[in-house]
Amino acid sequence: MQTAPWITNYLTEHFADEAYRTLAGYTARGGYEAARKALREMRPPDVIELVKNAGLQGRGGAGFGTGLKWSFMPADAGKPKYLVCNADESEPGSFKDRLLMERGPHQLLEGLLIGAFATGAEKTFVYIRGEYAHAAGVLQQAIDEAYAAGHLGADALGSGFRHDIVLQRGAGAYICGEETGLLESLEGKKGQPRKKPPFPAQYGAFGMPTTVNNVETFSHVPHIVRRGAEWFRGIGTEKSPGTTLFGVSGHVVRPGLYELPLGTPLSEIVFEHARGVRGGKRVKGVIPGGMSMPILPADQLDVRMANEFLRERKTMLGTGGIMVMDEDSCMVRAGCIITYFFRDESCGQCTQCREGTGWLHKIFQRIERGEGREDDLAVLEDVAAKMEGQTICAFSDAAAWPVQGLLRHFRSDFELHLRERKCPFERSFEL
Amino acid sequence: MATITVDGVAYEVHEGRTILQALDDLGVLMSQVEIPHYCWHPKLTIDGSCRLCQVEIEGFPKLQIACNTPVKDGMVIHTQNERVQRAREGVMELLLVNHPLDCPICDQAGECKLQDYAYEYGVAHARTREPRRALRKKVDLGPTIVFDQERCILCRRCVRFCREVPKTGELAVFARGDRSVIDTFPEQPLDNDYSMNVADICPVGALTTKDFRFKIRVWFLEDAPGICTGCANGCNVYLGVASNKVYRYLPRRNDAVNDTWLCDEGRLSYKAIGAPDRLSETQVRGAHGLVPARRAEAVARAAALLRKTLDAHGGAAVAGIASAHACNEDLEVLRALLASIGAAGCVPVPTGRSDALLIKAEKAANAAGARALGFGDPAPVVAGIRSGTVRAALVLGHDLLLPAFLGGAEPLAGLDAVILLDTHHSELQRAAHVVFPARHPAEREGTLTNHAGLVQRVSPAVELPFEAYCEGEILAEIGAALGLPGFAARGAGAGRAVAS
Repeated sequence: MQTAPWITNYLTEHFADEAYRTLAGYTARGGYEAARKALREMRPPDVIELVKNAGLQGRGGAGFGTGLKWSFMPADAGKPKYLVCNADESEPGSFKDRLLMERGPHQLLEGLLIGAFATGAEKTFVYIRGEYAHAAGVLQQAIDEAYAAGHLGADALGSGFRHDIVLQRGAGAYICGEETGLLESLEGKKGQPRKKPPFPAQYGAFGMPTTVNNVETFSHVPHIVRRGAEWFRGIGTEKSPGTTLFGVSGHVVRPGLYELPLGTPLSEIVFEHARGVRGGKRVKGVIPGGMSMPILPADQLDVRMANEFLRERKTMLGTGGIMVMDEDSCMVRAGCIITYFFRDESCGQCTQCREGTGWLHKIFQRIERGEGREDDLAVLEDVAAKMEGQTICAFSDAAAWPVQGLLRHFRSDFELHLRERKCPFERSFEL
Repeated sequence: MATITVDGVAYEVHEGRTILQALDDLGVLMSQVEIPHYCWHPKLTIDGSCRLCQVEIEGFPKLQIACNTPVKDGMVIHTQNERVQRAREGVMELLLVNHPLDCPICDQAGECKLQDYAYEYGVAHARTREPRRALRKKVDLGPTIVFDQERCILCRRCVRFCREVPKTGELAVFARGDRSVIDTFPEQPLDNDYSMNVADICPVGALTTKDFRFKIRVWFLEDAPGICTGCANGCNVYLGVASNKVYRYLPRRNDAVNDTWLCDEGRLSYKAIGAPDRLSETQVRGAHGLVPARRAEAVARAAALLRKTLDAHGGAAVAGIASAHACNEDLEVLRALLASIGAAGCVPVPTGRSDALLIKAEKAANAAGARALGFGDPAPVVAGIRSGTVRAALVLGHDLLLPAFLGGAEPLAGLDAVILLDTHHSELQRAAHVVFPARHPAEREGTLTNHAGLVQRVSPAVELPFEAYCEGEILAEIGAALGLPGFAARGAGAGRAVAS
């Protein structure tokens, strides 16, 4: 076991303890008490109300209110309802869900059970990123244990509530992390998002009312049920309660996963917890929430890591994946990498996304080669604007925002390329 | 019902429909309300991917796609304001980023929605300097369709068509992002009874039919409304006509008959109109076979031959064989003529394969019309010809030759009189004493009754380079020449009542 380079709180408190991954170890730490309480002593609307009052926001990137989302599920659907756990974690820079599954599988299962009870779902599909083979193994083992103990199945925890959990491994596409792209893939189809309406709460997995939440979101739920909404609201900020797992990567001394209250200043995470930039260099820019979130320059690291503050800086918390780039970094190269990723991963349905992602990438490559032209920056800005807010899913926005962020804060990098007709950052990371 | 306001005009629409559907229901889409669209098609499921049909709806922060947004009572929609126009410009520019712009050699030029909308809603200046994607220009998708991958804008109408209409599903999108291409699966060509519809619904020049491509520039064509005569369904078509020649059939939307579709066999049946085997000459039999004759001479000869048979054997020795391809007006004259001489009539109807979609077993456009006029099973007439009780025959068309009926012209050889009115050459001419060239429904006024009893009008789309007649005019003249009551006055106007 690695000595914890991470900072822990309630979610990750016992992650260093190998026994915590087993049912016995988890139970010894008070595991399944919350689910027992919810399934035996509460009514589903009470659970939803509790999660609403706690103010839990989805941790998958969009930050939508979890209790509100659960309340969209029709109470009397007259057909099976499903819960889907989004464990596709495909956002570059994000690796929190993997740890949550590998080290706290029963915490997730308990969250799923409570979520299923609250939404009336008879079955949960956990759609896990294909590359997460180890996590899938750990989770399946936990599921098997839970069945054997009677925590899942026909009479979950002796409550009379029937619940089954099915683990489905993905086959590798970023877009399968988008909730309706995930549903298509889950059904065995090509992973491409569905147009809305209908929304998943009306027509989700296999056409049934479905709620989709992220791994971390579910993992918070047992703690909320056990300790109450007041307790949860006491952590984090007023608008963004609770902790989250910040995954720090890039040019830092101590990359890792840090569980901290929402609202923690970015500078504290980068300089105190991750110990600053390696080699004594300065920070040039930080992507605060996974690759699709606009970058922040070094002079804006005072921002507190919660959406209400990040929005003021025209970026968002996303999945909490913090990527730090040092002073030698070429932001045009960063753009080449980012736009390549989105070009490669676009499902290709919507015009703006299919054509825009490719166009952006081609322009970035040309500027990096030293063949940029004066009007390229205006075209980049304009194409990004045309891709924003006009497509079936948020992928196109996710591809446009980082480009807008780079142009907003690092325009001089682009202008240097144009002027010198080559990449002037010789010590930058390579493409 | 709900009331929506589009650009200041209120419309009563059905609840549960999307904005485009509701406007299409009213017939105002693209005529009164301009909402350009590519992936949406009234007869296919909603795709929502081209993003061109975005409109502004009051109360919605973002623009919404009209194809997939359900109408709501009180909805206020703007389709022409600055914001919507900018969004359209954006979509058009992005669609053209990888388009080859090879309009000068593209068969779709002139009827291309990419051209039309780029002109109407796009910007004239191209800002992309990047190389456009190079793909296969001539993919042989199957027996009927050629595909240009570069021109494709990935609206996926063709993919949905194959899945939803013939339900054969040959086409799919392969790869993803800007590498997406439409193709068939290995060893499974695009080959179904309706395959050519994909070329119609392709908004650009990506899918073209092997039959029509490179035959003529479409701006030389005039679209004349007509009816496909391939079977009893009576699908509505446009005949693409230039210099008096029909180059193609395109389906003409009629939700009660064929929606927006046409089967491949019917589509290619236009070829019968200008076929080299058209009967083009009025003829009478002389000592050495058929010789050209003037119309009046032929009518007189026909009447004389019939008169002889009538005088010798009576009306029962005369049979009238209607054609299920002829118009109601002509069949009505035949009916009246046969009635006034006491002769029997029948209609041989060619049959073949049918399906649950459009293709009907009866391979003629007016079998139902003929039956409604009293023409029935040919069996008694065929028996009469074989036994010799029928001595003279007035024959329209040549379906009588089919194996199900006479099986050949031989049994007619001994008849005293065979008067033939037909559009195309056949073996029947060998037995005929008088031959009149007849007009195809594409060359005349008239009505056809489809399998469901729907009476549909046809009008001339082309003029023939030779003299040909509507069967009714000739039959009326023969009736007059026979001195039958009521025929002198009927003439060319005979049977018009049927049409109404």
